[in-house]
Amino acid sequence: MHCDRSAVVLLLVASLSHAQDAAPSEQEMILQLVQQVETLQKKVEALEAQPRTISPSNAGATSQVPSSPTPEAVDSSPRPSSLMAELHELRGIQWQGFGEVNYKALNQKIPELGTYGFVPGSAGNFYTGDFDLLLTARINDKASVLSEIAIGEGDAQTYSIELERMLFKYDYNDHLRMSFGRYQTGIGYYNTAYHGGTWFQTTADRPLVMEFAHAGGVLPTQAVGLSFTGSIPSGTLGLNYIAEYGSSDTIRPDLNSTTTTDENNGNHINIGLFAHPEAIPGLQIGGSIYHDRISDFAKGPTVRLGQTIVNGHIIYIRHGIEILNEGFLIRHAYEHTATAYNTPAFYSQISKRFHRTRPFFRYQYINADPGSLLADLDLRYGPSFGVRYDFNDSIAFKTQLDHTVRKGEPDLNGLHLQLTFKF
Amino acid sequence: MRTKLIAVWIALSLTGLAGLSSAVAQNSVAAQNGAVAVVVSEKNPVFNLSVAELRKLFTGERHAWPGGLPVKLIVRAPGAYERIVLLRLLAMSESEYKQYWTAQVFRGEAQAQPIALFSNGMQKEAVALYPGALALVNLQDVKPGMKVVKVGGHLPGEPGYPLN
Repeated sequence: MHCDRSAVVLLLVASLSHAQDAAPSEQEMILQLVQQVETLQKKVEALEAQPRTISPSNAGATSQVPSSPTPEAVDSSPRPSSLMAELHELRGIQWQGFGEVNYKALNQKIPELGTYGFVPGSAGNFYTGDFDLLLTARINDKASVLSEIAIGEGDAQTYSIELERMLFKYDYNDHLRMSFGRYQTGIGYYNTAYHGGTWFQTTADRPLVMEFAHAGGVLPTQAVGLSFTGSIPSGTLGLNYIAEYGSSDTIRPDLNSTTTTDENNGNHINIGLFAHPEAIPGLQIGGSIYHDRISDFAKGPTVRLGQTIVNGHIIYIRHGIEILNEGFLIRHAYEHTATAYNTPAFYSQISKRFHRTRPFFRYQYINADPGSLLADLDLRYGPSFGVRYDFNDSIAFKTQLDHTVRKGEPDLNGLHLQLTFKF
Repeated sequence: MRTKLIAVWIALSLTGLAGLSSAVAQNSVAAQNGAVAVVVSEKNPVFNLSVAELRKLFTGERHAWPGGLPVKLIVRAPGAYERIVLLRLLAMSESEYKQYWTAQVFRGEAQAQPIALFSNGMQKEAVALYPGALALVNLQDVKPGMKVVKVGGHLPGEPGYPLN
């Protein structure tokens, strides 16, 4: 606006000097000046009436516009229409996409599984991982819809579409927030913090214990049902809860053969409690208990067992520091007998961001009882370390080296390169 | 030995002076921009927030005001002084802030990222539009119709006010 007024003054001065040069009569000069002033006023009005050139499709896009206007320059009572244009896009369907391209090289050629997590199909291969499309839509202030559609790569570059999440969400208040549909179970921290989005992970892959069931993982990571979460009045302790009830039908491939295990889960219940103490911002301490009933078809179609998964976690994310620690105990107790198998597992991950670079270290451990349903995993442990480099806010490259010790088998060394992006 | 000690002392002094001048420069920038007020709608009954509460609100951990009114976060676009104060409050860089909100939406913890506006005039309109609005506004740009909330019992400009 200052510029516009300066331009008007300059033009007036120029006009005045031009008028003086022409030396018209005083009356004519006044008429000319009045006409010019009127013309310029119209131009200024037209400029002021122009809508702002704002191009947000959402707040993320908004924030990417490199604008740093001084308050004086833009504070002059913007038209309501400009604000409404700014806010309009918050309604309707919003899309976000996440993609990745991977290269993984291992010192073992015998495959365990098709793609990630364990040993892929060859000593060194490219794969795309999941191509994720996230759809969100706001119905009103309290109700919304969220859906995550993943196009995943299978064997021999075949692709399948999976509805990873489909949720109708209703936030009654801070203490009761409800979700109905297909969700990722709130067992511990990792599954609900990262879902299927490799982009958000510091590392190139998920910890072994958190791997998705369809990729050989041991936890029932997805379910259809009801999920409730919210805060518990607890002062500075910052307590929150999560309660889930649903069906988590887990089908996982056996690592030692081409068969799959359908655990034919019954309905599960999962209760979690976690705290965000105000005294230490960025800290989360919590745990969860999950229980359902599954089948052991290898021992007979009617053999059922109770599956209980206990989790404890300590997470700290602040000032560019990321510390993730989660421990699990998976207990399979056969019904009508005293037979029970325990599978302990944990992972610890630490990373620190230095500008665009984030070096990380992770150590993981899983020890499945040889008699249990998870016998194919057996004992595995070892470190991973690497670097994540963010080219900008949307593109990152990760390099990761893994060393995994396996009971009764040679140690496994791997190199994992990953280009990941969001749009 | 003595010469070395003097050299070290001079080096330390110069470093200290550089730090002091940097701090003075930062303080002068803060003084130029002044305190940043926490602003809500006049319809909102809240009159005081702690720093921890403010952090929970601006990170989307707290979704509603007492009484159930949904919180509507209004923030300034990158580059604005209020945005810098917000990032300082959350202990995040601009990049981390963007990633944080992308993740919040991805997790289903938020319906959308906070509305980022280009001016305090637009913030004023948004605060008037949404009864649950919460915004940070440079004190000198606070307009009639904006309700300034105390932070930790202090009003902007008072000693101990944390958002400078």
